[in-house]
Amino acid sequence: MSMVVSSINVARLQPRAAPPGLKARLPRVAAHRRQAARVRCSAATTELPQSLKTLVQAFQSVPDPMARYKQLLFFATKLEPFPAEAHTEENKVKGCVSQVWVIADLTDGKLQWRADSDSQLTKGLAALLVQGMSGLTPDEIVRLPTDFIAQLGLQQSLTPSRNNGFLNMFKLMQKKALDIYMQQQQQQQQQPGAAGDAAAGDGAAASGSSGDGDVAVTAEQQQASAGDAAAAGDSSPSGTPVADSMRRKLTEELQPLRLVINDNSEKHAGHGGYRGKAGYSGETHFDVELVSARFEGLTSIKRHRLVFKILEQEMQNPVHALSLVTKTPAEANMA
Amino acid sequence: MAALLDHPVASTSYTWTASGRRANSRRQSAVARAAAVEEAPLAAALRPTRTDFPILRQSVNERPLVYLDNAATSQKPLQVLRAMDEYYGEGGYNSNVHRGVHALSARATTAYEDARAKVARFINASSPQEIVYTRNATEAINLVANTWGAANLHQGDEIVLSVAEHHSNIVPWQLLAQRQGLVLKFVELSGTEELDLAQLATLITPRTRLVSLVHVSNMLGCVLPAQRVAEMAHAVGAKLLLDCCQSVPNMPVDVQSLGADFIVASSHKMCGPTGIGFLWGRLSLLEEMPPWMGGGEMIQDVRLEASTYAEPPSRFEAGTPAIAEAIGLGAACDYLTGLGMQQVAAHERELGAYLYAKLRRIDRVRIYGPSPEAAQGRAALATFNVEGIHPTDISTILDTTGVAVRSGHLCTQPVHRHLGISSSVRASPYIYNTALEVDAFVDALTDSIKFFT
Repeated sequence: MSMVVSSINVARLQPRAAPPGLKARLPRVAAHRRQAARVRCSAATTELPQSLKTLVQAFQSVPDPMARYKQLLFFATKLEPFPAEAHTEENKVKGCVSQVWVIADLTDGKLQWRADSDSQLTKGLAALLVQGMSGLTPDEIVRLPTDFIAQLGLQQSLTPSRNNGFLNMFKLMQKKALDIYMQQQQQQQQQPGAAGDAAAGDGAAASGSSGDGDVAVTAEQQQASAGDAAAAGDSSPSGTPVADSMRRKLTEELQPLRLVINDNSEKHAGHGGYRGKAGYSGETHFDVELVSARFEGLTSIKRHRLVFKILEQEMQNPVHALSLVTKTPAEANMA
Repeated sequence: MAALLDHPVASTSYTWTASGRRANSRRQSAVARAAAVEEAPLAAALRPTRTDFPILRQSVNERPLVYLDNAATSQKPLQVLRAMDEYYGEGGYNSNVHRGVHALSARATTAYEDARAKVARFINASSPQEIVYTRNATEAINLVANTWGAANLHQGDEIVLSVAEHHSNIVPWQLLAQRQGLVLKFVELSGTEELDLAQLATLITPRTRLVSLVHVSNMLGCVLPAQRVAEMAHAVGAKLLLDCCQSVPNMPVDVQSLGADFIVASSHKMCGPTGIGFLWGRLSLLEEMPPWMGGGEMIQDVRLEASTYAEPPSRFEAGTPAIAEAIGLGAACDYLTGLGMQQVAAHERELGAYLYAKLRRIDRVRIYGPSPEAAQGRAALATFNVEGIHPTDISTILDTTGVAVRSGHLCTQPVHRHLGISSSVRASPYIYNTALEVDAFVDALTDSIKFFT
C-alpha cells in the first residue's frame, strides 16, 4: 500500500498563525477526514464489491414495495448476533431515525462486520452493508467511492431519510475501517528495539529520553490517541509517534546537548497545509530547538538542511512545517 | 358525490354496535373502500368537504391515499387555491402592498388587510391590529421571546413551560434564558397523561413572568384548561402564551374568553398555505414591544441617525410580506367559518373517539395521552406505539398500503424521553377524513403488525 507523497514544504519554516477565534478540533476526528481524503486521492477507488452489487440487484428487482421490505426482513435474519455491550455511542450511527450500531472485527487482514438496530427494516439495510462489505481489507473499504449508494442504484428504493441513514451507516463503517487502517500503519511504523522502548516510554508521559527535551502534547491529543488505541483493542502505542521518531533520529545523529520538540499542530488545525497531511496522531507542526556540536562551522541554512536530511521521512509525511532553532554549544552558552 | 370518484361504487354493509360501526366484510377491497370513503355517516356534518380537496383523490402504491398526517400539515381546499391563483393570475392584482397608488396595489393592499381582519374575526380578536403576520407559529414564538421577552425579562426571572411542548416552545426560551440569565421550569404529566395542574401551581412563583404552554398537544392530544391556567399566571402578574397550532384549526378559539395574553398558530395546519402564520397579542402588550426585524414597512421615518417605528402590527412585519399566502390564509378562515367551527369540533370529537376506540382494541398498541372521556376531552389525533416494533417500521409498511401517518419524535423529544420512548407513530384525522378511512388505517395497522411478527 503506497502512502501519498506530498510535496515537502521546506519553505514554510515559520508556521502561520492560526486565524483568531479558530477552535481546535479534536485531532482524531479531523485526522480521519484528512487521512481518508489522502488515501482516496492516492489510489483508485475500490470497485463496488460484487457480493454487494448482487444483493442490491436482487433487492431492486423486486417490483412490489411490500415484497422488498419482506426481503429486508429476510436480510435482517441473516445478521450474526450482536453483543449487548457493543450498544455504545461510539458504535452508533448518527442521524438515523432508528438506533443502529455497527462493529468491525479484523481477521487475516480482512474486516468482518456486525450490525444491530431496533428497527427491523433498518436492520435489513444494515445487513446489506454488512454482507457486502465483509471480507474487504480496511484500505479497500476506505477507498469505496462516496457516491457508492447512488452507484448501487438504491436511492430510488429508499425515502430521503432512509437514504440519509444508509449513507451515515456507510460512513461510520468507513470511519471504523480507517481507525483500523491507521492502527495497522501505526504498528508498521513502530520499530522494535531501543527506539521502540523510547517510544513506549514517551507514550503516556511527556518525558524525553535525552534529558531536557520535552514534548508538548495536548491532553486532547493524548486522550484521543489513547481512546483510539483502546477501541482497537491493542496495547497502547505512543500518542506521539512522529515526535518520538524525530527525537530518536536527532539524538542519534546530532548528540544534542539540548533538544526541545514542541508540537504546535493544534494551532494549525484547519489551515491549508495542515489539511491532507496529518497522520493518525495529528502531528504536523513542530518547533524544534537544538544545541549540538555538529553545527560548528555550518551556516544557518546548512544546519537546517542537515536537520531536514535527518528527518527526511517525517518531512515527507506527515510533518508540514518545522520551525528550527539551531545553535552550537558556544552560541547557547553551554560550552 | 360518488360520481366524482373514479372508482365504481360498491356497496358495503355495516353492523352498528355500541362503540361504532363495523364493516361486515373485515377486508374491504381497495375499490369498495375508495368508493365508500365518502359515505361515512360519522362525517355527515362535513359531507361537502371531501370534494373540495382533489388532492385526496389519488393512489399511493396502487391503493387510495388515506391521509392521516394532518397534525403535521393539512390539505388545502379549492377555495384557498383559487384565491391565491386569482391573486397572481389573469385578472389578478399581484402587487406590493401598503405603498403605491395604482389600482393593482390598492387591490392587493385591501385583500391583504381584509385577510388580517378575517383572521382577527376567526379568533374573535378585538381588532385586526392585534394580528401580527409571521412565517409560522415558530417564528411567532421567537418574536415574543426576542421582543417582549428581551425587554421585560431579567436575571433570575422565571418562565414556566412543560415537558410536552413542541420544540418551538422550548428552544426560543432556552436561547433567551442563556442570554438573560432566566430560569426555565417544566410542568410534567399527570396520571392521565395531561399537564399536571397541581404541579403547575407549585411551579408558579412571584418570580414567574411568563407561562408558555401548549393548548392542545400534538403528541398527547391533551387539552389545557386555559382559563384556569390564565388565572394562575395572572395571579402572580405573569403573562400567558398559548401554542394554539392544534386548537385553532380544530375547535372554536375565542381569545376574549381564553385568558391568554399571546397565542400563536400556523396557517398550514388550518387549510391555509405554508409560509404564513400569526401571533395574536393584546394590543396594549404589542404597543409596548420593541421591534425585532428591521427594514421597510415597520418604520415611520428613516433618517441616517435614527429611525422611528410603526405601530403594531406593522412594527413586527419588516419587508415585503407573504401577500398571496396571507390572502390564502384569509380564504382558509372563510372556508372553515363556512363549515362552522362547532361542526368541525364535533366531527373531530366523534372521529377521534372512533379512532381511539378502534386502536385500543388492537393487541400490543399503547396510546399516549388522556382518554376521550377526560374532563377536557382530547384531540382527534392518536399517538401510539406497538410493543416490539419500531415506529418507522410501522409507518413504512402503512405507506405501502397508501396510509400516511407520521413516525419519529414528532418535534417533542422531551415528552418522549419523559415517557421512556425514543419515537412513536401518530395518526391525525381532519375535516375531510372519514370513519371508513379510520377503518382502512386500522386494518392496515393490523396487517403491519402481522408483517413483523
